[in-house]
Amino acid sequence: MTNLEKYDKLFLDAFRIPREELPGLKYRGIPAWDSVGHMDLMSAMEEAYGISISTPDLLSFSSYEAGKAVLEKYGVEL
Amino acid sequence: MAQLVVWTEPLAGSNCYLLGQAGRCVVVDPGDALGPLQTLDRLGWIPELVVLTHEHCDHTAGLEPLRERWPGLAVLATERCSANLQSTRLNMSAMMEVYLTFHGSPGVRYPPFTCRPAGLTYGAEYTHFWRGHRLRCVPLPGHTPGSAGIFWDEEAFFSGDYLLPCEKTVLRLPGGSEADYRAVTLPRLQELPGGLLIHPGHGPSYRLGGRPGLPQGV
Repeated sequence: MTNLEKYDKLFLDAFRIPREELPGLKYRGIPAWDSVGHMDLMSAMEEAYGISISTPDLLSFSSYEAGKAVLEKYGVEL
Repeated sequence: MAQLVVWTEPLAGSNCYLLGQAGRCVVVDPGDALGPLQTLDRLGWIPELVVLTHEHCDHTAGLEPLRERWPGLAVLATERCSANLQSTRLNMSAMMEVYLTFHGSPGVRYPPFTCRPAGLTYGAEYTHFWRGHRLRCVPLPGHTPGSAGIFWDEEAFFSGDYLLPCEKTVLRLPGGSEADYRAVTLPRLQELPGGLLIHPGHGPSYRLGGRPGLPQGV
């Protein structure tokens, strides 16, 4: 599984949405991506890629696209 | 007759309950490094037993400081709680600064931490006795894998993060399980007797059946 496939799967598993909804998906854009959902998703990201994301970066992970930029800061190429 | 004192952690509003008798006490959910210690010093009580309702950091942050002060302190928790104390992901301390930001306290530093395992663990319903009091501990997975409810002499119930006054039970944090909640925990909560004194992990104590806004499905 590529890093991008893993990235997508984390969203799909966390929020149980169809893949077509991933592009443009934003924090609070769906009911499941609320503050609780965000913490769950971020924990899953850290575990899946073996990284520890700083609090400012966890908070800037505000969309499907923005998250890719955050992960790239930690050496995860998508 | 034990005396009950409550200390509430200011960041997440988590309750730490101290039950004292003859200068000794049981501590339920020491959720802060300083508050429970200072309360014990003020009361002049020596803790003999710590009981955990679950592994989240706002209920366990004071555990290691208590152990450092009283090295022989016994700690009672479910097996899964005991295991998850050792994970910053499952004890949620890795996400606590994010949680606090979302809940109106941005910029607060909350370094992730782990705790050593509990010395007394159980995987099924377990009864522990302390100075003539009966603590019946019931695993209640769902909010976390290691959650439990603690009956105190069948008169009171320490519910952890279940039965919070007018709040839904959160089941979506890491390790949470709606399936476990519905299969195991909800039936147990639904059979609690009316009039039972509930000491929740957050919010004021109340008697079951005597308040509006029961949590989901209960």
